[in-house]
Amino acid sequence: MDSVLKVQGISKAYGTIQALSDVSFHVPTGSVFGILGPNGSGKTTLLGILLHILQSDSGNYSWFDEMPSDQARQQIGSLLETPNFYHYLSAYDNLKIAARIKRLTNPNFDFVLKTLGLYDRRNSAFQTFSLGMKQRLALASALLGKPKILVLDEPTNGLDPNGIAEIRDLIGNLHHQGITVIMASHLLDEVEKVCTHVAVLKKGNLLLSGKVDEVFRSTDQIEISSSDLNALSDVLKSLAGINQIQQIGDRLLLHCNEQKTPQAINEYCAQNGIYLSHLAWKKKSLERKFMELINENQTKQ
Amino acid sequence: MSELLSIEWLKIKSYKTFWVLIGFFALLLPIWNYGIANGFMKFGSGDLNFVSQAYSFGNVWQNLGFWTSIFVVFISILIIILTTNEFQFRTNRQNVIDGWKHLDFYHAKWLLVLVLSAFTVIYVFLIGLIFGLSYSSFNDFPGNISYLFFTWVLALNYYSFSLLLALLLKKSGIAISMFFLYSMILESLLSKGINWLSHSLAGNFLPLQCSDELLPFPLLDMVKRIANLSDSVTPTWYVLASFGWIIIYYFVGRKKLLKSDW
Repeated sequence: MDSVLKVQGISKAYGTIQALSDVSFHVPTGSVFGILGPNGSGKTTLLGILLHILQSDSGNYSWFDEMPSDQARQQIGSLLETPNFYHYLSAYDNLKIAARIKRLTNPNFDFVLKTLGLYDRRNSAFQTFSLGMKQRLALASALLGKPKILVLDEPTNGLDPNGIAEIRDLIGNLHHQGITVIMASHLLDEVEKVCTHVAVLKKGNLLLSGKVDEVFRSTDQIEISSSDLNALSDVLKSLAGINQIQQIGDRLLLHCNEQKTPQAINEYCAQNGIYLSHLAWKKKSLERKFMELINENQTKQ
Repeated sequence: MSELLSIEWLKIKSYKTFWVLIGFFALLLPIWNYGIANGFMKFGSGDLNFVSQAYSFGNVWQNLGFWTSIFVVFISILIIILTTNEFQFRTNRQNVIDGWKHLDFYHAKWLLVLVLSAFTVIYVFLIGLIFGLSYSSFNDFPGNISYLFFTWVLALNYYSFSLLLALLLKKSGIAISMFFLYSMILESLLSKGINWLSHSLAGNFLPLQCSDELLPFPLLDMVKRIANLSDSVTPTWYVLASFGWIIIYYFVGRKKLLKSDW
């Protein structure tokens, strides 16, 4: 089984607002799959459809190669949006209900409670928990029965920096154990740190999906200058690997492929009789790439 | 099915509100009836007491049934709270996320309704047995026990109606208000209005009214019988109408759950 989840052409509208349009992708087995997008891009709607609590207008999905959806959900650990528990029941009793619905024969209650640091509070009512503890209980519930897939919507919501680091480590550990993690986040940093694959959503459109390093393939920028900008520009036009030349003041900004190092540019210019008076390599931050990705698509539309 | 019910039991067994409302019903119903049987509960003045009723096996099922038709509101409210809690806590979604089908969630609540209606009728039977034995002998047993069956029909009608209201309105405050508004005021207006306009008893067949007709106020019923003013509608029709409505509630609720987002 190469992919644990196949999503095909899913669309959903709330009235006149198109929450998702024709979204398709595959989640490879064993990946940490990030669904990345700004607030309101349709991440939670998408996960809601995949977990059967929202109905799509069109399209379909399948978990584990066409397994019936409710059977599949029993084997998926999920945390969607907010922690949903019976307020008056203790952490332990809430987990018992989840375990029964999941038809677990020998639930690992103590293990998940200890993993999330809630063991000492297992008999306290959910309503006495802080926001961070509620989030931890939701994660504990998701880990019940050692699921093969985890679906997490903004898993670090409401956690303190310490908690965020712990959750990241936890996701890393689960990934190493071969568990597939599907994670929605608006935090690029989070996706960069923990995900192997990513799908970028914007206003319900899937911009692209694939391996993190491919999606965010560096299109580096090199800033150069010389006494004759026009001549410099003409020379560079004939050099392969440069996608765009932009003049900013008395400098040229080159958008290049990753193969084009400053050294190569310098060498090429020198060979063509132009000597650079300025050369700077500008590595783009992932965040800027993400913003570009999103804005680029906006201008296309 | 028993799996659904036992999960439902896990949800409520340590819920204080559940025990308080069940407790109100279980305590107040016998105390109230004891007060009437014993004579310290009087409505009227002087020697006139409108609720002076006999609790021998010949009458006990009708008397208990009538008062139960009022005390079932405790359990109706309980059902509304238990159901709207799920929406408030969003645990309806969590149950589905964890692997229930939408219909599993729905049927678990219906099973709860069935169990609570069974509890109601068994409890009323036990109280009736005690009253009957105290005020008559076992030779008179079971007496007019068809009223016990009517009590079950009424409880099932009220409870499933409450479940539907909770599913449609989703907020406990609104659902409870609507339940009282409809059952205490609106339906009386509608039913009397329809009867008056149509010169018939069609208004008696409204959702809750048809079950209320099965358990009329005992004194009034007796007066009607003495004066030979009995309604032309036999209880069978009211029983059928009650079950008709219960089936309608089931399918309306089912359709609502299956077609809407959670």
